[in-house]
Amino acid sequence: MHATRALSVRSGDRHAVTPSRALDHLVTQVAADRDRTAFVALFDHYAPRVKALLIRGGASPSAAEELAQETMLAVWRKAHLFDPARASAAAWIFTIARNLRIDSLRRGSPSLYDLDLNLGAEDPAQPDAILSGVQDAAQVRAAMRSLNADQAQAIEMAFFQEQTHTEISQALGVPLGTIKARIRFGMMKLRVFIERDKGGAA
Amino acid sequence: MSLRRQPSEEQLLAYTAGTLSFPEAIVVATHLSLRPETRAWTELATAVGGAVLEDQAPSPIDAGVRDDLLSRLDAPAAPQAAARPPTADAALPAPLDRFALGPWRWLGPGVQVRDVLGTKVGDCRVILLKIASGQSTPLHTHQGVELTCVIDGAYETHDGVFARGDFEDADPNVTHQPRVVSKEPCLCVAALDGQIRLPGMLGRLLAPFVRL
Repeated sequence: MHATRALSVRSGDRHAVTPSRALDHLVTQVAADRDRTAFVALFDHYAPRVKALLIRGGASPSAAEELAQETMLAVWRKAHLFDPARASAAAWIFTIARNLRIDSLRRGSPSLYDLDLNLGAEDPAQPDAILSGVQDAAQVRAAMRSLNADQAQAIEMAFFQEQTHTEISQALGVPLGTIKARIRFGMMKLRVFIERDKGGAA
Repeated sequence: MSLRRQPSEEQLLAYTAGTLSFPEAIVVATHLSLRPETRAWTELATAVGGAVLEDQAPSPIDAGVRDDLLSRLDAPAAPQAAARPPTADAALPAPLDRFALGPWRWLGPGVQVRDVLGTKVGDCRVILLKIASGQSTPLHTHQGVELTCVIDGAYETHDGVFARGDFEDADPNVTHQPRVVSKEPCLCVAALDGQIRLPGMLGRLLAPFVRL
């Protein structure tokens, strides 16, 4: 059962309707049953993507592979903290990879972001802060595709460069203010898209 | 929906992406711990991070790497991060509560400052400022970043009152002289780039002695 699901996820192209909830379910299975089959499916889907993301962010392939491994080890150990009502598996695993990357860059500094990781488990009493809909990975990807190309590019590039705005501005040869405006309008549009889409549901 | 006394959308995106500089990220994280409603934006940005991850073209990983990890799954985890340093202040909001702090230093009448240690990136670093009721902060920089989040008390600028949890991204081109309007002292965390200048006679007198 898990294996079939995982296979269908693996072979899906990026514009197919991703069975994203199946991926979420794999994390809850790891948490509930220490399910190694589910974990292997998660590893096969996410570890190569985490590695690719880290390489685009400037890590060497070997460092990226090691951090991808550590990310998946943390997925195994922290699966009980995953709350599918708050985040998709993809967003949660992104968060883990980001935290490990920052910790590896600033070895010895206290961690800033551990609160984010534990938020779902420790802090269920902040319903105001939850933007309904962001836990649906397919919907978020649909929202991303609703942006114009400039906005989507500015937002995506924010994930790959330190000192984002200035470097993006230089890379694209576009004034800093324009980059900031694209990010701002893009983020507002995403929020409107997700809230409107979710409005009648639930 | 527009952000008021909060970090901008692009600062929140960079914070969530992990690409904001460390000193700036500390001030944003302090704001987030005091103003949870801002988390709607970081949750959105986190979801975008998930979408970006999902859309990556997979970079192959050798099967041996996976097998190696599987064999380590049940090994005991390494001990958690070190205990809070002795000079940290547990009463501060997260994430400031875990950083070692320098001693309070006198900076002018009613104004004290202490360093948040281990936060420096280039010339940018994080400080705590404590300003007495009715006093102005007699300081500003003319370079780079100057982010502030109020932890206790309140101050007023030409732009209105800033109280607990409020975030200010000061324009470095504008002389910045907030006045504390709360009865209690105003405690702020700030990320500063470049040297702070104390304007006027006091600044000229103190310049040789006070370095921030």
